[in-house]
Amino acid sequence: MKITLVKKIKLDGSLCRKCEDVQQKMEAADQMSLIDEVLLADERDTSSPGMVLARRYNVEQAPFFVVEREGQQPETYTVYFKFVKEVLNQKTREEDELKEILNDNPDLDFL
Amino acid sequence: MTANLLNTLDLDRELSNQSPQEIIAYALEQFDNIAISFSGAEDVVLIDMAHRINPEKVQVFSLDTGRLHAETYRFIEKVREHYGIQIDVVFPDAYAVNNMVREKGLFSFYRDGHKECCSIRKIGPLRRKLLTVDAWVTGQRRDQSPGTRTAIPVIQDDKAFARPDDTLTKFNPLANWSSNQVWAYIRSNNVPYNELHDRGYISIGCEPCTRATGPGQHEREGRWWWEEATMKECGLHAVNTQK
Repeated sequence: MKITLVKKIKLDGSLCRKCEDVQQKMEAADQMSLIDEVLLADERDTSSPGMVLARRYNVEQAPFFVVEREGQQPETYTVYFKFVKEVLNQKTREEDELKEILNDNPDLDFL
Repeated sequence: MTANLLNTLDLDRELSNQSPQEIIAYALEQFDNIAISFSGAEDVVLIDMAHRINPEKVQVFSLDTGRLHAETYRFIEKVREHYGIQIDVVFPDAYAVNNMVREKGLFSFYRDGHKECCSIRKIGPLRRKLLTVDAWVTGQRRDQSPGTRTAIPVIQDDKAFARPDDTLTKFNPLANWSSNQVWAYIRSNNVPYNELHDRGYISIGCEPCTRATGPGQHEREGRWWWEEATMKECGLHAVNTQK
C-alpha cells in the first residue's frame, strides 16, 4: 500500500489552515511515518504535483490522501478522521469527527 | 441501478439542466432507500414535489436539535398531517449534549461560535440517520450562502457520511433555484409553510441562532449574526485545478 498526502499552499504562499491542523494532529499521533509521500498543491502553480493529482482524482478539498493498493483502484480521502479509521485502523474521537465534517461542509449549516 | 454505479460528476452535468421535479423523480427512481431531509422551513417544497411524483416512496426525516422554535415543531406536525406521511424525527446524543451543557452552559455558541453545538445537536444525529440510507435529498441552494466558495452540485458522492466501504449519494434538487423560485412554488401550489416566515424570518434554524431579517438583508444575516463571516479556506480553487 502506498499513501500520499497532499497539502495545499495558498495564493499567499502559506499552508492552508486545515492542512496545518491535520499535519499537527498526524505528528502528535505519530502518523506521519505511515505516509509514503507528501505532495504540495500550490495554488500559484497549476502544474505542481498536488494540483495534478487533485485534477486526476477530481478532488476539490485539501488536504487529501490518495491510497493505492496493489490490484485496486486508488482511493481518495478528504476527511481526515475517515482516513484514520478506515486506512490506518486507528480510533478517533466522535466530537472531532463531527466538527471536521461541519468545517469541511459549511453548507450543512442550512439543514 | 446501485449507487456505486453512478458517475456523479457526469450526472451532475446532466441533471443541472433539469428541474427540481425531474431531479427528484430521477432520485426516487434510482434509489429505494432514500430519505428527504426536512428542516421545518421552505424545504417543504421537496416533500410536496416528491409526494406528487411518488407518494409511496416519500421517506422524510427532521433533525430535532432540542432548540427549535415552537412554530417549527407545529409546522413539522402540520406537514406530517397534510401529506399523511411519517416523519422520522431524530435527536442528538443525550450524553454528548449533557456534557457540553454541563461544561459550557446553554448558550456557549454566543461565546465559542455555533459549530461545536451544531456538530453535537445536528451533525451527530444526521450521521446516525444517514448510516441507514443509500441516498438523501436536501433543500440546499447556492444562493443561501454566497460567502463560501462551495458550489453546491445537484448530485454528489457524499464521502463525509457514507458507510465504511460503501457509497452515499446526495441530491440537492434546489441547488440552482433562488429563494424567489422556491416561494413562487409554495404560493402557486398552496404548500403549507412555517408561520415564522410571515414574521420576517427567511432562514429558520434553532431559536437562539435565528432572527428575522429586514428588507434587503441576505438570509444568512438571520443566522449566527454575531459571528464574522469567514471564507472557507481549504477548497482547491476550481480555476486552478481545471486546465
